[in-house]
Amino acid sequence: MKNKKARRVIDEYIDYKDGKKLQKFISDQGKIIPRRITGLSAKQHRELVRAIKRARQVAILPFVSEAVK
Amino acid sequence: MAINTYESVVIINAALEDPQVEQTVASIHENIKANGGEITDSEDWGRKRLAYAIQNAKSGYYYITRFNGSPSMITEFERILRLDENVIRYMTIALDKKALEYLKNAKKGQPESDEETGVQEESKKEVSNE
Repeated sequence: MKNKKARRVIDEYIDYKDGKKLQKFISDQGKIIPRRITGLSAKQHRELVRAIKRARQVAILPFVSEAVK
Repeated sequence: MAINTYESVVIINAALEDPQVEQTVASIHENIKANGGEITDSEDWGRKRLAYAIQNAKSGYYYITRFNGSPSMITEFERILRLDENVIRYMTIALDKKALEYLKNAKKGQPESDEETGVQEESKKEVSNE
């Protein structure tokens, strides 16, 4: 069974301050979900990665989630 | 010299009393002005839980400022933040065109928050369908 890929999950600017939105793109370990699963375009994924890494710097997202620690 | 728009997130020690926090915020504003920056916008998030402990603190007071300034002022601005003991974390980024556009729209359409959450829920479903 082949699921249809979720396209254009986000199409506007990805803001690093929006923790809730970014939360959906990290696994429960706190890792960034790969592009093949989220279905983002390469460009969007690059922007997402940048936003997530920025969010981690200012403690909006965890580097390693609480559950793993 | 080129003028950029910067956005600075400053996390202030949440254990401080409100007047001290206000004082720190005021000193940040002063700092920007003294270095030749022009504050355009600021957001006060208040006390928030941190995703991980910084200097053993579990929560912090978030303050976000946007300002116009030259690239050379950032070094001095950040140096002063580093010296301030009430500031536990800071990050300054340059905003690009896309970010500025987004912020402009977000400011205009704040009452549309209902619509936005609808989109979020929808996209969440799509991701979990995988």
